[in-house]
Amino acid sequence: MKSLLAPALASATLLLGFAAAPAGAAELTVITAGDQNMVDYVNQYLAPLFEKQYPGNTVRVVGTGPGDAGSQKIVERFDAQDKAGSATWDTDVAVVHEKFVGPMIKGNYLESYRDRISSGKLVSRANADMALGTKVTGYVMPMFNSQTAIAYNPALVPNPPRSYAEIAQWAKAHPKQFGYNGIKGGASGVSFVMGWIYAFGDGDAAKLMNGPFEEAETKKWDAAFASLRDFTKNATLTPGNAGTLDLLSRGEIAMGPVWVDMFYSWQADGRLPPDFKLVLPAPGMPGQPMHYVIPAKSANKDLAEKFVELATSPKVQAQGIVERFNWYPGIDAKYVQAELPDAVWKKLFTSVTPEDLAAYGKPFPIAPYNSAILEAYERQATN
Amino acid sequence: MPPPLLGLLLVLPALVVVLLLFVVPLGASVAGAFVVGDGVGLGNFVKTFALYTPDIVFTVLIVSLSTALIGTFAIAIGGYLTLGENPRAVAILRWLYRWPMFIPFIVVGQVLRTFLAKNGLMNNVLIAAGLITPLDAASFLDWRGIVIAFVWKQTPFVALLVAGAMASVDRGTIEAARNLGASRARILVEILVPQVATTLMVSLVLSFVTMMSVLSVPLMINAQSPTMITADIAFRINAYGDYGVANALGLVSLAISACAAIVYLRHSVRERT
Repeated sequence: MKSLLAPALASATLLLGFAAAPAGAAELTVITAGDQNMVDYVNQYLAPLFEKQYPGNTVRVVGTGPGDAGSQKIVERFDAQDKAGSATWDTDVAVVHEKFVGPMIKGNYLESYRDRISSGKLVSRANADMALGTKVTGYVMPMFNSQTAIAYNPALVPNPPRSYAEIAQWAKAHPKQFGYNGIKGGASGVSFVMGWIYAFGDGDAAKLMNGPFEEAETKKWDAAFASLRDFTKNATLTPGNAGTLDLLSRGEIAMGPVWVDMFYSWQADGRLPPDFKLVLPAPGMPGQPMHYVIPAKSANKDLAEKFVELATSPKVQAQGIVERFNWYPGIDAKYVQAELPDAVWKKLFTSVTPEDLAAYGKPFPIAPYNSAILEAYERQATN
Repeated sequence: MPPPLLGLLLVLPALVVVLLLFVVPLGASVAGAFVVGDGVGLGNFVKTFALYTPDIVFTVLIVSLSTALIGTFAIAIGGYLTLGENPRAVAILRWLYRWPMFIPFIVVGQVLRTFLAKNGLMNNVLIAAGLITPLDAASFLDWRGIVIAFVWKQTPFVALLVAGAMASVDRGTIEAARNLGASRARILVEILVPQVATTLMVSLVLSFVTMMSVLSVPLMINAQSPTMITADIAFRINAYGDYGVANALGLVSLAISACAAIVYLRHSVRERT
């Protein structure tokens, strides 16, 4: 019900907000895609912090709903204001999925602000410069990175495989002990398949991540899908992202791809045994960031920059992003470590170190390759 | 105003609702199945059959098997309610069998997902009872899970209608058969079922069409390959935003349902002539 209501409420609030604009320069409007927890995060944590640091200003937050659809709404809102020729827009800061930053930059909707804020230098991951094929340097600050990795049960797997090749070997030796959710049951399975193509495709993985799209490239995956087909026959197919974690906790599978933040949340709730661990295999698995962007026609640009600066400061990244939500920080993890209690740091980075993350945390392929890989999987790996 | 026009005016609101909410979307969806890029063609169907033929066959087999099982169980339940000789057993069965009807498909999927898993309740009970060893325990979360979910959920619906029809059958025919020494099984097969065949057929066709359209159960129990058409339609839209192939799959599913309806119509026409 919440997820149904949230978009409706959000659009209602947006409309109201639009009617009430322009508010005083001291009111900052933040709109965010994603689940209710994104709204709660700003409302309960970030906004009070900001209002304390910059007294007299208030933060108003609006959620546009979960998933890509939420980000799509924000793009459409910018489109509309652009076409209407509004001099100032009703949004000061937006939080969007990386896939939607490209269209925003093409439309010249965004301010290039990263170099002007102090936390801009702390960003290290490549996905802050390239977002699924579009150069976004300067326009975005990553709010957090979510990442997929292989979760395993150390009681059954004392020496986890460290690469895709080793995973394939291990799965062959242990039939039905590796579980993943295919491509129709959630993105952790999709991510595993993308990683498989990065690892075993005959083409250039960097091209898949950065473009440009060439039809010829899509013909280079036959061998990889043939081996994935055999691999899948020998694996357990799970029903969904949560399904993989569920089967892991029941001991029905020993290993499988999961979202890292989900893994830690389940562990914190006691739904996964505390000794379960993660490994990020070479040559890497995809993850994706959410980005802070500032519209070029924001009425409160300075304040917006200050807001993002605060939100991406090591302290906030440590307490808000890592400790509260088990997400990986948007800025380089080494700046965050100093701000974290040792236990929290250990929890998030024991099995997957910042070095692993820098080396093996990959972006998803650009959109046309993404669809091509999914369809080739349907055609070649399951039929 | 002439009466015919007045009549038309009176049904107009209902007609408009049906047109706008049902016929137009259906037409748009059917037309959408033939839109390829900017033109019109069969591309969506080529892709549908290239990628999803196993899923289409799987869907037909699963739903047909479920329908057959539902029919069998419904006849058994209805038969016992009509012919049973132990009043207490009949009362308990009458009270019990309707329960699943009031449980939504999504809940059935969720309940069975934990019940049928490898280390789920069912296997745990069997192991505790010493019937199987932990090593023999297998997960039923594949095609069997879907069939179990469908049969569990739809049997009460068919049984309710069939039992009602059986109750209204002239008791005289049953008593006559009994006087002549027929066993209860024989009375059920030769006397009762032929007399309720139409009701049975209607309720089975309705169940067939309902099962064709269930998304939650395959999604929760087995969204892998092969899977049901509904899961593929959802995937085409969610992963690719590809409404063309989704519409084509919908049309295939419509054709399968139509086959069930035709079987039923043929049958009822033959009965009447």
